Amino acid sequence: MGSKISSILIANRGEIALRVIRACRELGIKSIAIYSDEDARSAHVKRADQAYHIGPATASESYLNINKIIEFAKRVGTDAIHPGYGFLSENEKFAEICEKNGIIFIGPKSKAMEVTGDKMKCKAIMIKARVPTIPGSDGIIEDVERAADVAHDAGYPVLLKSAFGGGGRGIRFANNEQQLRQEFEMASAESRAAFGKSALYVEKYLERIRHIEFQLIRDSHKNARHMFERECSIQRRHQKLIEMSPSPIVDKSTRERIGEIAVRAAAAVDYLNAGTAEFLRDQQGNFYFIEINSRLQVEHPVTELVTGIDLVKLQIAIAQGEEIPFEQEELKMHGSAIECRINAEDPFSDFAPSIGLVPNCNIPNGPGIRVDTYLYPGCTVSGYYDSLVAKLLSWGNDFEESRIRMKNSLYEFGIEGINTTIPLFKTIMNEQNFIEGNLSTDYLERFDIINKMNEDAKERSKKYSCAAIAAVLLQSEFGKRSGRRVSVGGARSDSGWKTIIGR
Amino acid sequence: MKKMAEGGGGEDKIESQHSKGKLTARERISLLLDEGTFIEIDKYVTHRSEDTESKKYYGDGVITGFGTINSRQVFVYAYDFTILGGSLGEMAGKKIVKVMDHAVKTGSPLIGIIDSGGARIQEGVMSLDGYGDVFFRNVMASGIIPQITASIGPCAGGAVYSPAMTDFVIMTENVSQMFVTGPEVVKEVLSQEVSFEELGGARTHASKSGVAHFVAKNEYDCMDKIKKLLSFIPQNNLEDPPLLETLDDANKIDPNIIKILPENPYEQYDMTQIIKSIVDSGEFFEVHELFAENILVGFARLGGRSVGIIANQPMYLAGALDIDSSNKAARFIRFCDAFNIPIVTLVDTPGYLPGTDQEHNGIIRHGSKLLYAYCEATVPKITCIIGKAYGGAYIAMGSKNLRADVNYAWPTAEIAVLGPEAAITIIHRKDLKQSTDARTIKKKLAKEFREKYANPYIAAEMGNIDLVIDPMETRPMIIRAIEALINKKESRPWKKHGNINL
Amino acid sequence: MMELKVSDITEVLDCEIVRTLSNGSIIIRIGTEQHNLNLLKSENNEYEFILDHTFHHAKIIQSNSMETKTLIDGQPMTVKKHLKLTQVLGKSLSLAELGGGINSLTSQIPGRVVSVLAETGSPVKKGDAVVILESMKMQVAVKAHKDGNLKEIKVKQGAAVARNDVIAIIE
Repeated sequence: MGSKISSILIANRGEIALRVIRACRELGIKSIAIYSDEDARSAHVKRADQAYHIGPATASESYLNINKIIEFAKRVGTDAIHPGYGFLSENEKFAEICEKNGIIFIGPKSKAMEVTGDKMKCKAIMIKARVPTIPGSDGIIEDVERAADVAHDAGYPVLLKSAFGGGGRGIRFANNEQQLRQEFEMASAESRAAFGKSALYVEKYLERIRHIEFQLIRDSHKNARHMFERECSIQRRHQKLIEMSPSPIVDKSTRERIGEIAVRAAAAVDYLNAGTAEFLRDQQGNFYFIEINSRLQVEHPVTELVTGIDLVKLQIAIAQGEEIPFEQEELKMHGSAIECRINAEDPFSDFAPSIGLVPNCNIPNGPGIRVDTYLYPGCTVSGYYDSLVAKLLSWGNDFEESRIRMKNSLYEFGIEGINTTIPLFKTIMNEQNFIEGNLSTDYLERFDIINKMNEDAKERSKKYSCAAIAAVLLQSEFGKRSGRRVSVGGARSDSGWKTIIGR
Repeated sequence: MKKMAEGGGGEDKIESQHSKGKLTARERISLLLDEGTFIEIDKYVTHRSEDTESKKYYGDGVITGFGTINSRQVFVYAYDFTILGGSLGEMAGKKIVKVMDHAVKTGSPLIGIIDSGGARIQEGVMSLDGYGDVFFRNVMASGIIPQITASIGPCAGGAVYSPAMTDFVIMTENVSQMFVTGPEVVKEVLSQEVSFEELGGARTHASKSGVAHFVAKNEYDCMDKIKKLLSFIPQNNLEDPPLLETLDDANKIDPNIIKILPENPYEQYDMTQIIKSIVDSGEFFEVHELFAENILVGFARLGGRSVGIIANQPMYLAGALDIDSSNKAARFIRFCDAFNIPIVTLVDTPGYLPGTDQEHNGIIRHGSKLLYAYCEATVPKITCIIGKAYGGAYIAMGSKNLRADVNYAWPTAEIAVLGPEAAITIIHRKDLKQSTDARTIKKKLAKEFREKYANPYIAAEMGNIDLVIDPMETRPMIIRAIEALINKKESRPWKKHGNINL
Repeated sequence: MMELKVSDITEVLDCEIVRTLSNGSIIIRIGTEQHNLNLLKSENNEYEFILDHTFHHAKIIQSNSMETKTLIDGQPMTVKKHLKLTQVLGKSLSLAELGGGINSLTSQIPGRVVSVLAETGSPVKKGDAVVILESMKMQVAVKAHKDGNLKEIKVKQGAAVARNDVIAIIE
């Protein structure tokens, strides 16, 4: 079962493409990169064994262009495709086309992806598998009586969500049945007006939730393991900022218990390869399954650091049909790891995107420091793709050591030419609640972190103010030369230029 | 006494100036010149008017002297609005004339800061004398030293002619106004209501009349622009402009430059992008930005050398030449020629703008100025044809016959008497009249015409184009041409001066 | 002598270079205190020096009459100059922040125009979204900064804009 992979086409860009290329190198596998106009000089293009131009900058015409990618893959005769994260990594049609064309898709089968991509379907399967999910409706609710019943069972307060509308729109809050009935009417009408039918579902509202996910791995021989948890509660607009392992709130028995549940979830959808089971933990300590992310995640290095396992190499092994090389009991968690996602955004200007040339950068180093990035002095950060420029990771024997190492390396990390979210992380590393592990998904607002960041920046300013003034004084003294004066023939005393006017 | 002299018109007048959001003359000079380098002369001069009504002030309303800007010697005068409204009196005029003479004698740039109510009525003819003498000196100095005028306040009546004769005028938004006749008189005589800003504010002069070359956002910006401008021009006409060591590689090629041109030759694009791709560090200091936007003029550096750039702007009027653009470019060329600044021309123009408005206002006269200026100039002239170059406009934009030294063309250049469409309608008039499907035939003929007549290799075969170059090599090719020509000396028969069609 | 103020710090300080010693040290005065500076390298607007026994690397990013932006050991610091004059110019400076003038609506972020929501000539109110920009997969609306009539929209769909570029003119 399974065949040896000798070449992999990486259908992605940036730091994750580099990551996969590195794993290929270690395994002696030929790495094939694709790049758009914007990425011609990108780090992953330089590192790969071969690189092909895939199209113009717009993602839809390049990294999301399934036809082009498959055409290339067939032309160069690649054995497998690694989709990275984002882009086509959770596109079941893409996985299907790969399968049809005899190209190994390094990830789950398209059928499993179809299930995990449909939240309602997935929830139904989980309920059957006795995986705890957020109390609420099993499916879409069309009438208000049913909604009231479900809400009553789940317990108020509840959220009323639209099955179609995304983001913040269409999420309504109800504290009691009366409010629910009111909101239901309005939400129904809205839904009917926008989508032609009333498609709502009810979910229990959980307060002070923590986002805790488990890394999963399952092979084609039905072996499944969990690789411990990651806590990713610190977020902004539902985007993760910091991830860490172990979670300060998860003890050994909980880890085993939820880990086992996660493994069960993976089996329930017949999952294959690496994935993540995401849970929400409420204030009472209950864990509720949300979804399975059917891909390798951005924060996978956190798990790599505490387990010592190379997840990308493991992915490739499983794609080749091999069995997972360790038993659950053999897997041990060692030390503590933290990851900060460095984005090209200005945290002082409401996280406005920042793009352009990075003339210089200083990547931190030292014991327990790992940086996954596509930055190099002279590279360009493009506005066509997402804003993640670097993942800064620290590992320590305990949380304290890893936190201090992260703090110090944030100060070492220098990126010129663009604004980054580094100042935000500097503040968080020193923040008392973070240190105590007092986290929740509303961490930033709850502890007024942005204001603290502004204060910290002012303090730092003080430290450098003398040097800044010194620089200005130096420039005014020594920096005034505007260029060599070059004379056109002759001194001024002879010929004289008044005569140009007259004879 | 020193304190009194430096106190201008008194604390209250200074307050009043500040409350209007304007700096005093001394403050402006301190911003402009290098720290501590200003030496003031004629500090204690007072007016000699017999009129006992008007108080005597030290300095007589204008501050004159010399100092350095970025270590370069300059002479400067600044009207002091706090003294008698900055009006020009006899002695004030004499002071200004003195520094103008010094500037010419030493070959240093002259910078004037205008903030003046006009002539001093009490001094009658003598204040008009003052202006007359200043005007004369402006003309004598013209072409010998760079003269820059910053208008940071009112400038009315006859006084406006001094700035008009200087090389560059910079006005500050919402602060400067220049007009020959003010709004009150306009209202009285013509019953026309117009505000100060609309009649003669910074934007009006920058965009409509072309009197102002630059608009500064505020006084800081004004001083910064003057300093920036100076960095491109020499001290006087016997010197080369300052050479700046540049980190930008002279051999750098840009494979993406051709992408700036759209596929469709009738589509517009922004010529500034091409300019920025060619010049050092992508820095293009545009002059007359808001006036005659169909042509771009400005300073840049190539290989560290300051050059004057003239380029059609296809984004406006398709880059056609007209009255204003001919004037704008001609004046700029003559300035560069006077001050040893090489000229680089980028061409993409479909011709002259047609219409009665242009014809009746004298496009014939004004258009000829551009041709005149190019012919007259003896600095190194390098031209590169990027796109269209039809008819008279082809000749006018630095063509070989106007004695440009090196003429390049991109493969996309189209050099013809007329554009393909227009040409075939004339040549194949009969055929098209008789045909049933004129459109398709027109397209076919236009394509043929383009390939047969309008491609640059034909001109290259005749030597009108020295070389058809690969667009990505534009920068190194131009730099090498400039380096080769930098010691160029042309001798012409002596004449008092030509008769440019003014 | 220069009057300087570091942004984020309220004090305005008198600063100057006092003298240069024979051993190459420079004595500078900041406010009432004197500091010892050893200049190690000065090239292309980058300076390396030891100020009071601490090493610093300073890079001048941008310098004009009003302020100098620097990077001190990687930390961006802005030093404002001519404080008294800035006070006088007050109003005109805040107008200048708005790019081309008080009527110009400028973009706070770099990006690409996804859609133009308003029509030239139509009235707008402060806060109305005029244009949607997309950058790094985030969509941001550029909203009118004042009430008025949309005189001109300077960008069209697909155009690339930089930070502080003028999007529209509102009169």
